[in-house]
Amino acid sequence: MSNDIKPTYSLDERGEVCPVPDVDTRRKLKEMKPGETLEVLVDYALSKERIPTGIKDVGGEVITIEEIGASEWRILIKKV
Amino acid sequence: MSDILQGLLVGILFGIVLQRGRICFNSAIRDVKMIKDNYIMKLALLAILVETIGFQLAAQMGWITLHPLALIPLAQIIGGFMFGIGMVLAGGCASGITYRIGEGYITSFVAAIFFGFSASAVRGGPLTFVNKWLGQPITTTNNPGNYYAAKDGAVNLTIANWLNINPWIIALLFAIILFIIIVTWKTTERKVSGLNWITGGIALGLVGIIGYISQKTYALGITGGWVNLFRTTTANLDVTKPLPYNWMGMEIAGIIIGAAIAAILAKEFRFRAPKDPKTFAQVALGGILMGVGAGVAGGCNIGHILSGLPHLAISSILFTIFAVLGNWFMVWYIFERK
Repeated sequence: MSNDIKPTYSLDERGEVCPVPDVDTRRKLKEMKPGETLEVLVDYALSKERIPTGIKDVGGEVITIEEIGASEWRILIKKV
Repeated sequence: MSDILQGLLVGILFGIVLQRGRICFNSAIRDVKMIKDNYIMKLALLAILVETIGFQLAAQMGWITLHPLALIPLAQIIGGFMFGIGMVLAGGCASGITYRIGEGYITSFVAAIFFGFSASAVRGGPLTFVNKWLGQPITTTNNPGNYYAAKDGAVNLTIANWLNINPWIIALLFAIILFIIIVTWKTTERKVSGLNWITGGIALGLVGIIGYISQKTYALGITGGWVNLFRTTTANLDVTKPLPYNWMGMEIAGIIIGAAIAAILAKEFRFRAPKDPKTFAQVALGGILMGVGAGVAGGCNIGHILSGLPHLAISSILFTIFAVLGNWFMVWYIFERK
């Protein structure tokens, strides 16, 4: 279960303006080392749908996306 | 059915499609450059393709006359560039910030208020004088096939009436070019929960055609609607001379209602606000640049891009080019610069 994984880093992007959640996620991934994990909290459906493809070229891979509330998601990403 | 009720109903439909398709022209233009993602761009191109054929067909059937927007080159160049910069700061285009009010975005509400306020200021308000600096409309007397609305014989310029050839020829050529781009450009993968780029693009195009047949004088628009809402609500001090709400003003109200209904049903409604208060100042500045830009240019991403490009109006082509350049410049400045 993804809940068992303690992520290396966490970003709370709830309430941020488009495309700040996407940009911050990519920036963070760029400075991470392979094997490290990142948790991103978003409340913007477009970011949730766009992040999985948008992080591939910076070595990001989505492990899980879970709904943690009304229009709130926790995206767990691994740097490969 | 009265004009304003029709405007409200078309607006509700438009709001539902915008929300379910997550349609934002700021994202469409920006993502192609910034993250090489063409998903929403392809949706927008498909909608424009559907409208290009649909508007021409509606004119052929005699349901509408085509009303391309006025060409004032400096207005579309400067206004388009300002609008392009503004939408990056505001975090959404004119239709994007309008429908996101219905999803509960406080930043969009702030941006939209400043957008409507500044557009009203340059269109009949205290900043109207800036329009004088930008020049007079360039028109033609050519009206091939009498498809176009004329005022004292003057018609706003499109590629077809500029060349004085049947507008069907240009419409079909444009449609074929769009079709080739759409089928050959590989779509970026995306798992969507609402409309996908094909269903969303077709739905958006159809709402545009319905809007034109309903409003008659133009298809969908945002800027004029916000100006009507502001002017009618705030400037009407003499109650014996009421300024009426119009089709486009009610369309704005409808977009917010439609998006709210769609968001609530999809469990995506939520009041959202950023943690850093500086973000509010940023989106307000974005709204002002968008309002002044779209105000002088005669339209925003809906008036000039979604509704204007299918006319192949020279004004709309010019606006689109400079709005894209303004967007890309600001995306580079904020997100990509080292």
